[in-house]
Amino acid sequence: MKAAGLVIALATGLALVGCAPSTGSKAGGSGGEQGSGSGTVKMVLWPGPEGDAMSKVVDAYNAGQGSKDKIKVEMTLLSRQDTFSKEATLMAAKSNQQDIYFVASYNVGQYANSLDPLTSVDASNYFPVAVDGLKYQDKQYALPLDVSNHFLLYRKDLVDTLLGTKSQWPAYQAVAQRAIGERRDPKPAAEWDWNDYTAMAAWFSKTANPSSPTRYGTILQAKNLLYNTMIWDDVLWGSGGSWTTPDGKANLDTPAAAKAVGVYSTIYKNGWTSKDSSQAEFPETQAALKAGTTAFALQRSAGFAELNDKTKSPLVAGKLAIAPVPGQKTHVHALAVALNKYSENKDAATKFLNYLATKDAMSAYAEAGGIPAMPSVLQDKASINPAFPQIAESIDKYGYSVPVFPNTFQAYSKIAESLSGAWVGQQDAGPALKTANAALEKLLG
Amino acid sequence: MSTRTTSRLSKWVLGSPLIVFALIFVVYPVYQGIQTGFYSLSLQNPDTLFTGLENFGTVLTDPGFLAAAKFTLLFALAVTAIETVLGFGLALLVNREFPGKKVFFTMLLVPIMVAPALLGVMFRLLLNGDIGLVPEVLRGVGLDVSLFAPNTVVPLLVLLDVLQWTPFAFLIMYAGLQSFPSDVLEAAQVDGAGRLRTLRSIVVPMMKPIIFAALFLRLIDAIRTFDVVYVLTAGGPGTKTTTMSIYIYKTAFESGQFGLAAAASTIVMVVLIPFVPLFVKRIATPGAAE
Amino acid sequence: MTKRRLWGTTVAVGLIAILVNVPWFNTLFVSFKSDGDISRGATAAGTPTTDHYANALGAAGYDFPRFFLNSAMIALGAVLLVLLIAIPSTYSAIRLGFGGRFVMNASSGLRLLPAIFFAVPYFLLMSNLRMLDTVPGLILANTFLNLPLAIILLSAGFRDVPIEVEEAAKVDGANTYRILYSVLMPILAPSLVAVAVLVFIFSWNDYLFALVLSSSNATPITLGAANFVTSTGIRWGDISATAVLSTLPPVIFAVFAQRYLVSGLSAGAVKG
Repeated sequence: MKAAGLVIALATGLALVGCAPSTGSKAGGSGGEQGSGSGTVKMVLWPGPEGDAMSKVVDAYNAGQGSKDKIKVEMTLLSRQDTFSKEATLMAAKSNQQDIYFVASYNVGQYANSLDPLTSVDASNYFPVAVDGLKYQDKQYALPLDVSNHFLLYRKDLVDTLLGTKSQWPAYQAVAQRAIGERRDPKPAAEWDWNDYTAMAAWFSKTANPSSPTRYGTILQAKNLLYNTMIWDDVLWGSGGSWTTPDGKANLDTPAAAKAVGVYSTIYKNGWTSKDSSQAEFPETQAALKAGTTAFALQRSAGFAELNDKTKSPLVAGKLAIAPVPGQKTHVHALAVALNKYSENKDAATKFLNYLATKDAMSAYAEAGGIPAMPSVLQDKASINPAFPQIAESIDKYGYSVPVFPNTFQAYSKIAESLSGAWVGQQDAGPALKTANAALEKLLG
Repeated sequence: MSTRTTSRLSKWVLGSPLIVFALIFVVYPVYQGIQTGFYSLSLQNPDTLFTGLENFGTVLTDPGFLAAAKFTLLFALAVTAIETVLGFGLALLVNREFPGKKVFFTMLLVPIMVAPALLGVMFRLLLNGDIGLVPEVLRGVGLDVSLFAPNTVVPLLVLLDVLQWTPFAFLIMYAGLQSFPSDVLEAAQVDGAGRLRTLRSIVVPMMKPIIFAALFLRLIDAIRTFDVVYVLTAGGPGTKTTTMSIYIYKTAFESGQFGLAAAASTIVMVVLIPFVPLFVKRIATPGAAE
Repeated sequence: MTKRRLWGTTVAVGLIAILVNVPWFNTLFVSFKSDGDISRGATAAGTPTTDHYANALGAAGYDFPRFFLNSAMIALGAVLLVLLIAIPSTYSAIRLGFGGRFVMNASSGLRLLPAIFFAVPYFLLMSNLRMLDTVPGLILANTFLNLPLAIILLSAGFRDVPIEVEEAAKVDGANTYRILYSVLMPILAPSLVAVAVLVFIFSWNDYLFALVLSSSNATPITLGAANFVTSTGIRWGDISATAVLSTLPPVIFAVFAQRYLVSGLSAGAVKG
């Protein structure tokens, strides 16, 4: 009897659990009738400023224009790392579950086969570099949302002290002599080249300069991560290199690339960055700058606001400043939205995309914390984020974008894999670059 | 003889839930997954073509795959051995009445209760050189070490896995000890058998199936190690800490090569399956117990 | 003297319990620190704050109560379904020759495959069954993930029970079903409970299948917590609070289960 009772209990429990919440059982889930131009539009985004800003834009749209058009936009937020994994799964399964995908310049080529080109969208208000980065085979596959570029974030107080204290200059020159083989005077951050960066990293490290106010000069984002390739690319481009030759051949096995790897490995091997840099990425860089243990670092533009916030970064807020990346080259990519080729509600989704392309929508987006890819909006909204004008200027003057080809995303990943060992001195630059170059050559097809 | 007929019928009645479930939720996805390995399914190519064994060839000649296989095997063997031994010792230690047992018993299980994906993030904070507790404490006692330096990162990952999963091995073997008739143990002790001898000649032989189950489960899970390592090192520097699962994850989600990823998974399974019966034999022989 | 040795055990086990929980205690500590204090360093402690808990319970704008509820339903559902399938079939395989060793070999072999292998097939399967983004869909997926574990553990358990116990019951006129449910299940209670605890934990903590199969309605807490891993860094305090909260239900489940695990009463009673 005990047995029967147990079976019944298990079965009932299961039935209860099974029945209770079966809410969204529409398989595709895309709502609205196919192509009716109304109904539910589902969109993937990632959390953080982009997702938060977009959710406010979406709320406003659903309450206003959307309700007029009988369109309701629903957002699915996934973590930064998982967004693209989930989308890749949906694309491989040719799913119609989501109507609008979140993409970026670096993967639009890989995803293009699962997207519909946007033909009716007005792209004239955007940064040309952002729009172009989302083109693939001359077709516009996505609409820019946010722009991302890199800056040199540095402790202005410390650098200014050095610049203003001539008595320290001879010592600085001696450190520079050992670090880069050349006696140099300290320079303002905006004028640094990669040698200045290296010499400064040494100067602000206790190992090279026991009286340094910080433990380490810099932190390198050297983890084996495709996003870290983007940052190292700045060193590569700033040293005169690039991924490809003008006629589109892989070009990583060059003296410029070796020099760029050398910047990282010299700093790492000499301890002018923490040995933990080998596993550092965005959050570790933020932590190092926030804790005040590190004098400067290359960082994405999105990182600055938090570092300058007194409640979040009490030790360094107000002491950090922005300068262009040494070598005056910054990787620019756009985060963007694109239309799922297998969506069953393209008309409605396109209406919403058209709405997003307006200056009004992007102004609302900026007010809600995003960094829209429209220069005029960035200029108008400088009061919201003091970094906006610098972002606009930096992208305009120093921005470059990596070529878009179907395997771009994979290429970032393979370059990180091939070079991350060499960045931290685990491998010589020569063979690592040969491996990277061969991988890139293959991926260029 | 009627018992034989009953048991012939009941064998299928009792087995039926598994058959039904397996037909829908195991056979189809496994078939679908293995089949993908024979096609050129990738995000870059809209056409999915039958490519036969090409994907398998590509994977097997990729030095990255072989490096990942080697690292995974060594890592899995190391952590499994350590965790099984420590887990067994801990199970013996806890298998008696002592004050505070209930509280500590639950505490011992907490590490497996934190989602691995979250635990990776927690470790990242705990071990962070600037704001983490462990480096700060180590510096406090005069040890200025960088835990994530290339030469310490592998031992670090092993240590973290041991911290996380020893409780799992412990729980299984402890539950086994609990099902173990205590009178045998008492009788042995009354006989004057020494502790160590009781352990070697009675406890270990009787516990063998359970010990093997714990060891085997840890081994097959360790072979799939992903979350914590991926969050902490993403497989680097270079490919130094790339496990098989990280390799396959990147192949599918970063490279968009779902056909290759499926082929790599299938290879892992096919290579390891011959070893499975060796363990299963020791865990569960159908029919009467010896 | 006996007493002293037992206290020695307490100290030894206590130290180990604390050691393995250093990450968790650190998480607990961090979850009460303000963002500013977190950035000051590990041992810096300002005024404790409960902001992160507010965020982890929904103040951050994400529907955390729903995520917790989903996780609970998924984990409990998976425990029930796994036991319902694994107990009879494993017994059948071990004692009645159902499927022979094949059942064990096959389920062990399945567990060797990386979870990613199943991402697309399971997505398609659930899509065809119209179970994407539903709790039952995730219960089925987690049942699939954990059946091998349950079958392997229960195999070892069933094998451990002396055959004489069953023969005695047979002499008393019990049929196979009766033997399984009223004789063997009580004996194996500790193992069954261990399996239930593990299946609960693993289902509660599943990440990859939740990522692939849910999008908004069935999102569990593990995936919800990932909202704090953002493009501008990790919200350490918020994710710590979420991690602390998300550990509580499995702990509570284990505490309830502990009666069977710790005392071993049920087992002793039958065996005696």
